Amino acid sequence: MSVAIEYYVLLSMALFCIGLFGILTRRNALMFLMSVEIMLNAANINLIAFAFYHGNLTGQVFALFTMALAAAEVAVGLGIILVLYRNFRDVDVTVPTTMRW
Amino acid sequence: MEGLFDYAPAIALFPLAAFVIALAFGNYLPKKGAIPGIVATGGSLALSLAMLAAVAGGEEGYYHDTLYTWAAGDAASEVGPEGIEFTFGILIDPLAALMLVIVSLISFLVHVFSLGYMNDEGETGLPRYYAGLGLFTFSMLAFVYADNLLMAFMFFELVGLCSFLLIGFWFRTRSAPSAAKKAFLVTRFGDYFFLIGVIAIAATFGTLQFAGNDSFIAAAEAAIDGNEQLFGFGAETWVTITALLVLGGVVGKSAQFPLHTWLPDAMEGPTTVSALIHAATMVAAGVYLVARMFGYYALSPTALAIVAFVGGFTALFAATMGCVKDDVKQVLAYSTISQYGYMMLGLGVGGYVAGVFHLMNHAFFKALLFLGAGAVIILMHHEQNMWKMGGLKDKAPVTYWTFVAGALALAGIIPFSGFWSKDEILYDALIVGLEEPLILAAYAMGLVAVFFTGFYTFRMVFLTFHGKPRSEAAEDPHGVGWSIKLPLLTLGVLAVVAGIANLAPVYKLTGIELTFLESWLEGGLEGTTYVAYTELLGDVYDTGFIGTESTTVLIAAGLSLALAFSGAGVAWKLYNVPEPVRHTEKLGGAYDVLRSNYYQDEYQVWLAEGLTLPLARAADRFDQTVIDGTVDGVSTASLFGSDRVKRIQTGIVTNYAALLVTGFIVLLIVLGILGGWFV
Amino acid sequence: MMIEALIAVALVGALVTFIAPNRIAGKLAFAISLIPAALSLWMFTVFDGSGNALLDGELAFESQMEWIQLGDYTISWFVGLDGISLPLVVLTTVLTTLAIMSSWTPIDDRESQFYGLLLFIEANLIGVFTALDFFVWFIFWEAVLIPMYLLIGVWGGPRRKYAAIKFFVYTNVASLLMFGAFITLVFGLGDAVTSFALPEVASAMLDGGPEGFLGVGGSTLASIVFVAMFLGFAVKVPIVPFHTWLPDAHVEAPTPASVLLAGVLLKMGTYALLRFNFTMFPEQVEAYAIPIAAIAVISVIYGAMLALAQTDLKRIVAYSSVSSMGYVILGLIAYTQFGVGGATFQMVSHGLISGLMFMAVGVIYNATHTRMVTDMSGMADRMPVAVGILVAGAFGYMGLPLMSGFFGEFTIFFGAFGAEQLPYSELFTPLAMFGIVIVAGYLLFALQRTVFGPYHLETDYEVGRAPLHDVAPMFVLLGIIILLGVAPELIFEMITDAVDPILENGGEL
Repeated sequence: MSVAIEYYVLLSMALFCIGLFGILTRRNALMFLMSVEIMLNAANINLIAFAFYHGNLTGQVFALFTMALAAAEVAVGLGIILVLYRNFRDVDVTVPTTMRW
Repeated sequence: MEGLFDYAPAIALFPLAAFVIALAFGNYLPKKGAIPGIVATGGSLALSLAMLAAVAGGEEGYYHDTLYTWAAGDAASEVGPEGIEFTFGILIDPLAALMLVIVSLISFLVHVFSLGYMNDEGETGLPRYYAGLGLFTFSMLAFVYADNLLMAFMFFELVGLCSFLLIGFWFRTRSAPSAAKKAFLVTRFGDYFFLIGVIAIAATFGTLQFAGNDSFIAAAEAAIDGNEQLFGFGAETWVTITALLVLGGVVGKSAQFPLHTWLPDAMEGPTTVSALIHAATMVAAGVYLVARMFGYYALSPTALAIVAFVGGFTALFAATMGCVKDDVKQVLAYSTISQYGYMMLGLGVGGYVAGVFHLMNHAFFKALLFLGAGAVIILMHHEQNMWKMGGLKDKAPVTYWTFVAGALALAGIIPFSGFWSKDEILYDALIVGLEEPLILAAYAMGLVAVFFTGFYTFRMVFLTFHGKPRSEAAEDPHGVGWSIKLPLLTLGVLAVVAGIANLAPVYKLTGIELTFLESWLEGGLEGTTYVAYTELLGDVYDTGFIGTESTTVLIAAGLSLALAFSGAGVAWKLYNVPEPVRHTEKLGGAYDVLRSNYYQDEYQVWLAEGLTLPLARAADRFDQTVIDGTVDGVSTASLFGSDRVKRIQTGIVTNYAALLVTGFIVLLIVLGILGGWFV
Repeated sequence: MMIEALIAVALVGALVTFIAPNRIAGKLAFAISLIPAALSLWMFTVFDGSGNALLDGELAFESQMEWIQLGDYTISWFVGLDGISLPLVVLTTVLTTLAIMSSWTPIDDRESQFYGLLLFIEANLIGVFTALDFFVWFIFWEAVLIPMYLLIGVWGGPRRKYAAIKFFVYTNVASLLMFGAFITLVFGLGDAVTSFALPEVASAMLDGGPEGFLGVGGSTLASIVFVAMFLGFAVKVPIVPFHTWLPDAHVEAPTPASVLLAGVLLKMGTYALLRFNFTMFPEQVEAYAIPIAAIAVISVIYGAMLALAQTDLKRIVAYSSVSSMGYVILGLIAYTQFGVGGATFQMVSHGLISGLMFMAVGVIYNATHTRMVTDMSGMADRMPVAVGILVAGAFGYMGLPLMSGFFGEFTIFFGAFGAEQLPYSELFTPLAMFGIVIVAGYLLFALQRTVFGPYHLETDYEVGRAPLHDVAPMFVLLGIIILLGVAPELIFEMITDAVDPILENGGEL
């Protein structure tokens, strides 16, 4: 007896919305990064759930790719945040607007 | 004899070679290019004389050959063949042979004269001068024996270029370049019409040949006989239109009213140039062209009448202006305009022989007068104002006597050459005028001009040579050498005796055959002979006599002689005194008008500087503001728009994310509505 | 493979020059440019093509290979020469060589890049005149803009950025219009074409034309495409009122760039007009004859009037180019052998003469550092040879007989007068011909004020005779101009041979 696919989708949607909410409301860059991670993982859950549901492994393979990508993204993102902090003494994303136009 | 004609191209090519040599090596040559020029024009003269002999002695009496095809192609003409060929060819018939001799002779003499006038006076830039003369002689000779209208046009333009270069010879002054520019521009304006005429004739008849069966003249005659419609006009109207278009070039080059204004200014050039180009040859190109395609004009009575009227008017108009000038060259310039008016009058009334005759005589005596004036200018240490001269008669006898010979010819005093030709022109005008009122008016103007001619000619002679010296230079004139005297003497003899060529009045009165020129011009190609023209003219003009032919001849000759003598007499009375005065106050307001050349220059300058230039500036302003403004406006609008739009780029990541999400949701909703999800 | 060799030599030469030291770049580029020049002259002598490249003509040096398959359409590398393109290729190679020589004096900054770009332009120009596949042609067409943009923008005068951007954007937007129009046409032709090869498109156009596209009917589509392409090329030519980029570009461009810009780049526009509009759309040419002729006349007269109002020598020559290109349009729209043939001849002739004029003005500028008519007079006193050539060039521009300009203008006028295709041609032609009077007016005024009169110069420079390498290219150009004026059949014969097939489809032959 396995869990019905709807619950996975609901979970993934909830996670995605949490992540989106975080991006839209938070100003701290670290929180941003974490929100993005949550959204990625929401996608991962979807991929794996549907892979299981359809009975092939493509989705799982994609999830692996996504994780690797997320790791890389975190590395780059943290690097940016460090530079941001060094330059502005702050990790608030609304402060550095010097590159807008 | 006929084999000689194979060398005809060399007539023009000799001076071309001289041009190249003078331009390339002039600075290293002993006389700075004069010697190649003299040799080349001497060669041309010898060959031209040979051509004259060949034409006279040959069986056919002409030479006509196409040498080179410039371009060929298909073009549908109105009545001619489908294809057209633009060629260079040579046509040496009696008219061309005569003109070749005149041009090469005068060019040769001017080259010789230049040794004294330019080299001995220490001018700089002489290679340029001789190169210009060489190029001019080349172009002029090629123009003279051109066998088609396009070739004639091309060399017609080239002589204009040479005129520009030589008028502007002293380019370091302000006036010479200005005069050169004016000369080229005004003649260019005439040539504009000429070029339209050339193109229209080519597009109509599919040929531009002057002579032969496939000439445009023959084609035009056939079209008129066949009552063809050409470009929506009747054939005769169209021939008139095209003939008048070509006449535009003639009026410009031969300095006829209203395009005569450049010629007096052209006197800024060296006097030798004035003698060669602006008196004897280039200015003659226009009149020569009318004579060359006389058959075409003879097809259109209207065109002929306009030629005659313009000529008669110009003759009088220019002669009156010549009466008040102080500069000896200016007097001669106006006299040149006036004399070419006579030739136009002669041709216009159908006096083909008379016109050509006067062309020849005028070339001799006017070149003589200009060269004489050049000699005077040297004598006077480059002073041209006649009021500072006087008393040169005894100090420079050769110059004086040759000058007087030229003056007598110009004034039309019997038996000097000018009398015979001018009288013949006036006689031809009179007999036509008795039937045609318009021509009678032209005749009357020509007749009145005789008086003024006599007056200004002798005013010039008396002021220059008679009386007491009125300046230091006149008291102690500079001597002149053989290179100046030799051309003067040659031309002086010609000015005296050239009239023998056609003593038409003598023939008409006594029946003695002394009309050599007339019988000379009766030869040549069929259709271009005097005989053919006489036939054509029979349809155009009726002629009448006062009493009999003899009385008419006597009346015409008597009238013009009397007027010439009275003009000269008035000049004698007023100016042949030790201390002449101006006498201009007697003219009153007329003096100002004459002095200002009837304000012809003013209005033409106004056309250029008062009308065209402001118009050009207005166009420029329009271009910079409206047209370029629109272009710049487009870029300004884009810049402004993007400046507004770029503000959504706040730099705050949250806003971007919000935009992304909103956009995504909007997209979903739109797709949903379109896809019918909400139904 | 000769055409590929031409392009390759110029391209490789550009690269080599680009990395060469500045010191030798000028001489090196000159030496390299001699190869394409010699090669193209050799091609000129052995040319054996006949007919029109787009209309089943025998191409010379043809070369074709498949390149990309794009859906139903094949794109191939397709080049070849006919009587229209060959003279223009020779013009390009010769003028580039001379332009390189004429830059030795004025260019003293980043030479290797400058000469590299000149060679790069040459390669692309050869491509434009030889390519017979639309894609290949378009790549070259657009690629010409880049080096010219840089030449103006880097080595130009004080307002170089403005001029360069204006030039680039203006002509590029026009290209976009033309590109869109042509692609639409190809789609509109439907199954009739399976490639972008110009001969194929041309024959499809002449065998019935487009079926329609996106709900627009065939003949309407053809008219829209015709107008859009005409406008696209009109900017390049340039035709009034799309001409305003030209004077700015010329004034700011360094002399050699001006030489190429006026000498060859403007001919791209008229060449393309002839290849596309006047070859593929005979019906539309007839339908739009009057407005196009009117534009041509306006270009001639208005351009000449603008030139009359200028005081900058380069602006005078620039506006007179507008005027001269108006003649070309008039010749094209006449649609007769002499009209179209004369227009093609005039392209070559104007390339030579305007190149000469810009060089001569450049030489004077090198010496005086001013181009303003009001700043100088009597230059003939100090630099007689250069001024002599300037005067000769000016008379060439005025259409002096026995120089090439006269033949071009005369044949255009003759071809246009009474052309059946063109209503009121007897009125249009004399109106346009009045340009020959105005051109004499402004050039003689300019000459009178600058080179004649007493010597005077506003700027503080010592003016001496121009060096030989400045004068030599002008002598060569003058020689060619006179040669073509005396013996125009040298190229006119092959031009008419290539023009005739065009006229068989609609014009007057």
